[in-house]
Amino acid sequence: MKRVASLYLPHWPIDRLRRIERRRAPSAEADASAAFDALGAHAAAERAQHCSVPKEGGWRPGARWARSDPDAGGSALADSRREVEAAIEALPNHRRPPQRELGRTSQAADNPFAKGPAKKGLSRPPEERVAAPAPLREMSRRTEAAEPLFRPGTRGWHGEDLQSAVSALPVHQRPSMQELSRKSEVVDNPFRPAPADEVGASLRRHAAMPSLQFPGEDAPAKAGRGAALRGETGRDRYRNEVPAAPLSLARAAAMPPVQGPGEDVVVRRTMRTPRRSARDGHGGEAGYVAPPSLAQLAAMPAVQFPGEGPHPDNHGRSAPTAPTYGQGRFFQTGRTLASVVSRVCRDDELDTSAPVDAAEAPLVTTARTGSRVEVIAANATARALGIGPGTALTMARAQGPDLEVRTADPEGDAADLHSLAELLARRWAPTVSICGTDGLFIDLTGVAHLHGGEARFARRLVRLLARHGVVARVAVADSAGAAWALTRFGFAEPVQVLGAGMQAEALAGMPVAALRLEAPALELLARLGVDTIGQLAAMPRAPLVRRFGRVIADRLDQAIGRLPEPLDPVIPPTRVSVEQRFAEPIATPEAIEHWLRELMPRLTIELAQAGQGARVVEMVAARVDGVPQRLRLGFARPTRDAAHMLRLTLRRMEEIEPGYGIDAIALLVHRADPLGPESLVPALAHEAAGDLAPLIDALANRIGADRLWRVAPVDSDVPERSCIRALPLEPLRAQVRALKTDDVRRLDGRSPDHPWHPRWPRPVWLLRRPERIDHVLAELPDQPPRRFTWRGATHRVIRAEGPERVAGEWWRRSPERQAVRDYYRVEDEGGQRFWLFRRGDGMRVETGDLSWFLHGLGN
Amino acid sequence: MRPVTYSELQVSTHFCFLRGVSSCEELFATASTMGMPALGITDRNSVAGIMRSLVAAEEVSHQHAPIRLVTGCRLDLVSGASVLVWPEDLDAWSRLTRLLTIGKARARPQHGEKGQCFLHWEDLAAHADGLVASLVPGTDGCDEEQLRWMADLFGRDRGHVCLTQRRRPDDARRLHQAVGDAARYGLTPLVTGDVLYHEPDRRLLQDVVTAIREKCTVDDLGLKRERSADRCLQPPHEMARRFGRYPQALAAVEAIVERCSFSPRNLRDQYLYPEEAVMAGQTPQQALEKLSTRALEQRFSSNPPVVYRELLAKELGLVAKLNYAAYFLTVHSIVEFARSQEILCQGRGSAANSVICFVLGITSIDPVVHQLLFERFLSENRAEPPDIDIDFEHERREEVIQWIYETYGHEHAALTAVVSRFRARGAVREVGKALGLPDDMTAALAGQVWGWSEEGVAGDPRLALTLELARELIGTPRHLSQHPGGFVLTRDRLDRLVPIEPASMTDRRVVEWEKEDIEEAGMMKVDILGLGMLGCMRRAFNLLALHKDLHLTLDHEDLQVDDPQTFAMIQRADTLGVFQIESRAQMAMLPRMRPETFYDIAIQVAIVRPGPIQGDMVHPYLRRREQKRRNPDIEFDYPSPALKAVLAKTYGVPLFQEQAMKVAIEGAGFTPARADELRKAMATFKYTQGVGQFKTELIEGMAERGIGPEFAERLVKQIEGFGSYGFPESHAASFAKIAYASSWMKCHHPDVFCAALLNAQPMGFYAPAQIVRDAREHGVKVRPVCVVESDWDTRLVGEGGGKDARLPLRLGLRIVHGVAVIDAVRILAARDVAPFASVEDMWRRSGVPLATLEKLAKADAFRALGLDRRQALWAIRGLGETPLPLLEAAERREEPVSLVALTAGREVVEDYRATQLTLRQHPLFFLRGELTRQRVITCAALRDTRDGRRVEVAGIILVRQKPGSAKGVLFITVEDETGVANIILWPDRFEAQRTTVMSSAMISVTGVVQREGEVIHVIADRIHDRTAMLREVGEIDMPRLTSPGDGATHAGSPDRGETGWKPKPRSLYHPPFRTGCDPEEVIPIRSHDFH
Repeated sequence: MKRVASLYLPHWPIDRLRRIERRRAPSAEADASAAFDALGAHAAAERAQHCSVPKEGGWRPGARWARSDPDAGGSALADSRREVEAAIEALPNHRRPPQRELGRTSQAADNPFAKGPAKKGLSRPPEERVAAPAPLREMSRRTEAAEPLFRPGTRGWHGEDLQSAVSALPVHQRPSMQELSRKSEVVDNPFRPAPADEVGASLRRHAAMPSLQFPGEDAPAKAGRGAALRGETGRDRYRNEVPAAPLSLARAAAMPPVQGPGEDVVVRRTMRTPRRSARDGHGGEAGYVAPPSLAQLAAMPAVQFPGEGPHPDNHGRSAPTAPTYGQGRFFQTGRTLASVVSRVCRDDELDTSAPVDAAEAPLVTTARTGSRVEVIAANATARALGIGPGTALTMARAQGPDLEVRTADPEGDAADLHSLAELLARRWAPTVSICGTDGLFIDLTGVAHLHGGEARFARRLVRLLARHGVVARVAVADSAGAAWALTRFGFAEPVQVLGAGMQAEALAGMPVAALRLEAPALELLARLGVDTIGQLAAMPRAPLVRRFGRVIADRLDQAIGRLPEPLDPVIPPTRVSVEQRFAEPIATPEAIEHWLRELMPRLTIELAQAGQGARVVEMVAARVDGVPQRLRLGFARPTRDAAHMLRLTLRRMEEIEPGYGIDAIALLVHRADPLGPESLVPALAHEAAGDLAPLIDALANRIGADRLWRVAPVDSDVPERSCIRALPLEPLRAQVRALKTDDVRRLDGRSPDHPWHPRWPRPVWLLRRPERIDHVLAELPDQPPRRFTWRGATHRVIRAEGPERVAGEWWRRSPERQAVRDYYRVEDEGGQRFWLFRRGDGMRVETGDLSWFLHGLGN
Repeated sequence: MRPVTYSELQVSTHFCFLRGVSSCEELFATASTMGMPALGITDRNSVAGIMRSLVAAEEVSHQHAPIRLVTGCRLDLVSGASVLVWPEDLDAWSRLTRLLTIGKARARPQHGEKGQCFLHWEDLAAHADGLVASLVPGTDGCDEEQLRWMADLFGRDRGHVCLTQRRRPDDARRLHQAVGDAARYGLTPLVTGDVLYHEPDRRLLQDVVTAIREKCTVDDLGLKRERSADRCLQPPHEMARRFGRYPQALAAVEAIVERCSFSPRNLRDQYLYPEEAVMAGQTPQQALEKLSTRALEQRFSSNPPVVYRELLAKELGLVAKLNYAAYFLTVHSIVEFARSQEILCQGRGSAANSVICFVLGITSIDPVVHQLLFERFLSENRAEPPDIDIDFEHERREEVIQWIYETYGHEHAALTAVVSRFRARGAVREVGKALGLPDDMTAALAGQVWGWSEEGVAGDPRLALTLELARELIGTPRHLSQHPGGFVLTRDRLDRLVPIEPASMTDRRVVEWEKEDIEEAGMMKVDILGLGMLGCMRRAFNLLALHKDLHLTLDHEDLQVDDPQTFAMIQRADTLGVFQIESRAQMAMLPRMRPETFYDIAIQVAIVRPGPIQGDMVHPYLRRREQKRRNPDIEFDYPSPALKAVLAKTYGVPLFQEQAMKVAIEGAGFTPARADELRKAMATFKYTQGVGQFKTELIEGMAERGIGPEFAERLVKQIEGFGSYGFPESHAASFAKIAYASSWMKCHHPDVFCAALLNAQPMGFYAPAQIVRDAREHGVKVRPVCVVESDWDTRLVGEGGGKDARLPLRLGLRIVHGVAVIDAVRILAARDVAPFASVEDMWRRSGVPLATLEKLAKADAFRALGLDRRQALWAIRGLGETPLPLLEAAERREEPVSLVALTAGREVVEDYRATQLTLRQHPLFFLRGELTRQRVITCAALRDTRDGRRVEVAGIILVRQKPGSAKGVLFITVEDETGVANIILWPDRFEAQRTTVMSSAMISVTGVVQREGEVIHVIADRIHDRTAMLREVGEIDMPRLTSPGDGATHAGSPDRGETGWKPKPRSLYHPPFRTGCDPEEVIPIRSHDFH
């Protein structure tokens, strides 16, 4: 007796979009102002902490929040407990840090005495390796960068201007605070006088690459996160930890499946030993918390993302610590299926469908079909206005002027649906198949009793999705077709269960569209006046098949259950890994090396069978005391080169602390990219160009992947904008135009432009910020200076060339509209060469104030 | 030290499409203020801007210091080299245009190379004589090969190398090297500035334009931006300072200015009309005289009245003097050809003022009868060639065009160009795209959507920037396209005078100049235009001849005399489908206007125009007309007898352009030439801030002749109102001719008229449904589409029913949506052999695809075979594949299937879905009971409703219009089974009920009846969505019945639905509207008339 459940997600694209946007812009209104508050707080914090000694007694790192003395103020940080509480109170519900988080994180970060024993000698994420004072430096750097916002008299943006400009933007377009501060950063603004810079600022801080200052670089700030950076915390979190946010379900589903006991050495070990590591991702000594109480669960926000928020399984941290395991926590607890499901989705809860905000603006997603932009999906408000799929956007606009429009993302929708299917296949029922763009089939045969019956299963499923803000309808019937029809054309209830053998009666009254027919067939049936399935079923078969082909008859039979309909199940991907257990624990480097040499070829064989090349490999050595030792290796390009991988591993072998011995070693491939077969002999005839990847791997694994980059040209005339950091192996943008063989432009003999062409020489050393020079003697309008003073030294120019006129990039900022710089290459008597510029073209006042700057040295 | 002179010789105007951004006027004005004696225009591979530059130079010379145009061109060769050339004399100019023609002919417009020009050094070598040239060094300096070519082709005397400061590194060294290179190859260095705009602030716009050209955003432009800075005009002393080290290069500039004295004005003397081989051995003038005299005698049966003879003699004299005889002969032969092919044609526009054109049959308006002003057409003082526009049947215009090509040769005939310029919407859209705004935002900014408010624009700097730059961009030329029918014909090769390029349509070639430029150059131009109504009239005449044995043409006597029946019909505003006077505004005017004579129709055609409406001429005229009707003896007071003669015809209100001219001549003492200037200026009043100098001149002139200031002021104001949209009287009369003919046809033969109109679709203001409905109201029986009886076209059934019999119509297969001609022909051919016995028989014998049969079934065309829609569809679906012979009998025996019959309402809806019209009941018929219960009255009942009563009417929305002149008022036309009702919705009510208005297919309106004579409106208060009710009629959605004039569904320009229909290009040249004023916005009423 087959039983199939059909899951229908009527508003999947909109629900998904809503989730994504809620996450992208948490508390949209508050964010911009919070960013500014935080900026102010940074500045104040810097002022307060310029003094190396605490100003008042009793200061203890990480405990500032705990002071309840209201008079102890002085810094703009939220000092008192009350203030912190008030600040937290002001945050929207889902962004509030739990109390526990505040306490623990801040202590762990800054308290020099709280040295965790587990941290010793282990490979640690780079952000934790930074010394304690780093946050301060980080803050001051940021403050310096952000300061011009508040400096009166700066041209262009003032704080208020910026803020009002930001708040005038639509919510989804508002820049983050980093962007704001970066934009206003002096170095990114070539047409403003800049304060002096220390010569020799490290290349890392070289401001010519502002776009690479990803928030991730500010990682040390995390350590002090718990302190007082109210608005910062949440935002930082999602910026840092949720990279390309939309695919949380994808990530959840990409987690490795639960393996049975004994399958995975780590799991086995951690299950066996009472002392669990906090870092193995399965709940440990520090993080082991009892299952959440009802109240806790109720306090959880409706839209909760795996790995986010104060889920008990997440050690009370809002951000996952383990880079991979932690993120999937919500669905990934290692407990048995039924217990998890029943714990998370209690069926005695009230049945809540997704909250539909009555005041929500009409929202549609659109896509271009031909010359017409059509609505793909619409939310409830928009549908109430009569805007539905297929409406032309112009028409929709005319109907609701406050319509919000997003671009449809069918691939993303499909990918998330697939992830959901994988998730259900792992956790709920083994056979799940995708049906169209908005539904799934779940084979419930022999599964339902695990969930306490079909109805219960369905209710739990609906509730799970409702918790994630997804509206769902589930129906269970004997055939997939009948279940499908019930979800879409049945009663309004979210859960329907059709008794065995009832399909024919249940379907008889439904419209023919309930048979999953193609549009042309439906239209034909409508034209012939066949409206209901009952009517169709009563028609003679042979003429029907003759006119419509087998499709209609087959669909009818499938729905009624006369024909079987096999489901095409989603198969969750598995991860490549190899492991070796030892009868006796090993502890010597030689032994470990020996086994690594054994394991690595096995791993490459597995990889080769999967057609994959490893990008991230983790070596886990299970120690007898239950503290696993981990080594993470990254590769610049997918690889199956065992020797290379081994070399990198052995190089870092001293980081492994065998302790009382290691009784298992596993190699887990965390990330793999497709890699085809590789030829054994690279080239017979000529030598291949040297491959940089091994070198890059070696360097990156030693100094950190974020410290290795190459510089790529940018098409910009403004010197400080003419380069950008690129990944070490990222191919530089191809300049060649693909021209057809008969294209006339092939006859063009001119050489193509390049931003770094020698015909536009640039200095050897470009200062991070142009420095003002004084006592400049130069003839207007376009003669080079004869003499100038830089850093107190006067230089007499004997040779000069110029001007090179660089006009402001007016589309970036309004002050650059008129701005012009005239660059001169000059050489002084001592043979020193300088690259100077004057603001203004010497003829029109509005182009600049004729002040002189030095921007480069050499050449 | 002697004063420095310097002339910029390398200037790109905005005719260097999407590269230069300053207009010729701006460039010349700036250069003149800077004190340059000359300016050399060198657009890239084009001389499109030369005529405009010439005019600009002459205008600027009048106002500022004199400045001369140095004609030139920048040749970008395929190899990447760029050479500036300036022709020394006319021969050199001819070689240049020839060269450009060769280069442009190599581009394949079908491969996206339209407007490009592919030239090699070898081509230049063949045409180098008489050209002074200068090599533009590349970014890496001069190439040896290029220098060699320059030295070979031009030598020391005419060969130069440009010295241009780029403001890039190593500028000085580069210049030094260029001078050295020039010396080595015996070339002369020459200072140029490579100017792209006249003032530095245009840099932004230039970047935007580059982004538009490269189809990317300014952020992504990168190295594709102009690489050198400082591309604006520099004053001579500055250039002298910068190039003080190269005095010989500065001197070379002066030498070129002196040497290249060619002016495009010289072309005027060169131009020769094509010779006509009408009469061997005679000069064109003799031939014309003979022809016209003979035609005149023929027309008046050899006894023409004296006045005609005198007028003809006068005109011939003038033609002889101006040497335009050949032109008339050419037009005559084109018209003769059309006549010989039985293509209906009629001259329009100012040519109707000429008796020569009248007697030769080019126009059909008698200038003597209508007292038309010949000066408007041709004047001695105006050195402009005559401009004759001829309308041909829309569908057969191509034959005429092909004949012209054959007769005059591709070398001698080409289409004039139309410069498409950025207009408000396009500018905002393109600039928005270039600045990276999202699509929907630019669309919203461009106002493509009704009612998008502009809030939200303030605040965002990019948005503000977009609007600012878009405003600057308005009026900038974008590219050249072809004029729909303007032909230039020459005796010699045309490419000696102007470059010709292939158009995107195959076998069409376009000159680089617009109509105005052609006029400036003194070339002959004939407009071969298409007019749908002429095609419709020809069909009507054919049907008349076929079925009623009446043989008419446009010139037939019956169509010349005023027919009271016809006028009675017109006065009832029963003019649906009639030419010109069918639109809503026209229909509203007719009952008030009450036309009684042919001339009244001409007035009617001219008066419902934006010009007269905005000039406030309509109401004074109607008032006076009403007074005149009540009291025929009333005399309106005219300030002077001279003016009375001019204005008496229109009761003292100037309605036509000619009247404005005559007022200026008679009332204010203008010379005819000056009056013509006034006429031309009228076109641009809107953009040049009113009449200005003319105004004072007019008022002063009138004061001298004793005309009071208040009358003068009013007159000036009315003239001002004309704008470019006042009609010349002759033009109005030409249109009135066709309007009258179509009215006559509708009045006397509504069956024929309806059939002709249906067959000429898509055309005009109304959809077939309304045309059929109107015909049925006039007692014409219309029969549905039927595979047994229908032809492709709608036809009359029965023959020779006598003159007044109304023959029934049989709708043609063409109204069935989606049926191709070829399939229809197959069906007809098979039917001619033997009538169809069954669907299968029809399918097998005609061999049309099943999809076509299904479409016919949807249109219910199988009734004659005893099958309704569903049965026919069932039968057709069963045809499938050919059965095996043995099984044939077995397959035939099929279980009978009973299909549910369609409800009556569903039949109606299906009718609409398949054919856009129904012959059954109106959908609202089925709802009437319910509506009556809800106290909704019918549209017909409005006629018996008191003014000011509150009523509710319901109907299907036909048209929603929001004319710009109506300040946001929305007009809705709804239709029920009894007729149509016109709804007026005030802006605030519209805002409140926007959703209903925009999304409903059927509405009911609660409002107050307002009646003014026979014109009834409902001033809407509340609007209710009744779409759900409508859906109940057919259980499925009704298709939207909005007609082509509906503004909400056709937000852009009116879509006439024809394939390849393009908006009519603006024929009048407007200077760029930097003020943000745009013709699109100024003239918001879209006329749905045929013109």
